[in-house]
Amino acid sequence: MKKLSVVIISLVLLSCEAEDNNTPTEPIDDIFDPTMATKLKMGEFVGVSRHSVSGMAATYEDTNGIKVVLLDPLNSQNGPDLKVYLSKDANAGSYINLGDLKSTAGKQSYAIPGNPNLDEYPYVLIWCQQFSVGFGRVELQ
Amino acid sequence: MKKAVLIWVLTVFFTQTYSQVREANITSAIGSSQGSVSVLVQHDWELWKSKKFAIGAGARFTSYFGANQYYITAPAELTSGSTGPFVIFKENIEENIDTFLIKSPQVNSLNLLINLRYKFNERFMVGFNIDAIGFSFGGSKNGNYINGSQGVMESGKPTAFNILLISDNDRGSLNSELYGKYYWNEKWGIKLGAQFLFTEYTTDSEVQQLPEPNGRFRNKSLLIAAGVIYKLK
Repeated sequence: MKKLSVVIISLVLLSCEAEDNNTPTEPIDDIFDPTMATKLKMGEFVGVSRHSVSGMAATYEDTNGIKVVLLDPLNSQNGPDLKVYLSKDANAGSYINLGDLKSTAGKQSYAIPGNPNLDEYPYVLIWCQQFSVGFGRVELQ
Repeated sequence: MKKAVLIWVLTVFFTQTYSQVREANITSAIGSSQGSVSVLVQHDWELWKSKKFAIGAGARFTSYFGANQYYITAPAELTSGSTGPFVIFKENIEENIDTFLIKSPQVNSLNLLINLRYKFNERFMVGFNIDAIGFSFGGSKNGNYINGSQGVMESGKPTAFNILLISDNDRGSLNSELYGKYYWNEKWGIKLGAQFLFTEYTTDSEVQQLPEPNGRFRNKSLLIAAGVIYKLK
């Protein structure tokens, strides 16, 4: 049974890597000026589930009260259906989906909808939604 | 006298007008990242003198398995805004439909079924069967409940009770097939067709809260099916 589980998990992980990658790889440089906003929290990415993700993430509140997650820099392994989650825990137990990962590299900003209490969401995740696999995470501090 | 007439009519009805066929078959079906294996035993009554049409009943065990399958809000009162027989003609209310994404769904169901069949000749026939009532079982599975930009991980189990009603009024896991059969001898044959399989999970808590609390989520799978038939009688 253990062997079967390992085979199934491996197939799932492989499938997440072998699918046609639908996240662009061209580095981007979003227009977001951190000097015009207040930095709330930040942290450094670590890869999870044997995936490679590096870079920094931070939350900001701009002068209009809009809260933003900024990934700068980011370098992520590619995969299908990659999303950016703002999560209450490291395993996407309860999260806000900030949208598709815009690119596997570069500076990118994501508006946080609904004005949530960010103290309740201390994690930023790069998450393969289709296969329910985490690629990388940041604990914001 | 009335009794005698009734006995005579019934005797003619069952001995002259009808003949019976009993068979078992095993079918596997496959679709996109999903599949099923089913075992069916059914009894058909061939009607009228021509015996071309048959109506039947039976029991079917279906085991469904998939990977990364999207289940959507199931109850008709949410998907169609009503529960009457005309929900089949109603458009889905998209804003009421949320998603429960299950990584490895696996549902087993045992249902009584209804079968309709037309026989071209002794070797070739076509038909349709559909599960009517039964029960389902299977292990608890984790899934990702998605409601717009909000999400939560939750676990769920196959909905225990299955019943065929109309369209989204259905409850639980129900299998149906549109098939063609070919018998290469008196006992053995093959079946090819399309399988339309509903599977349903009920989450441990009612994760969907709007427009009203709901924990039932349904997946509708269209699969290509092939099977082997053995005529019992």
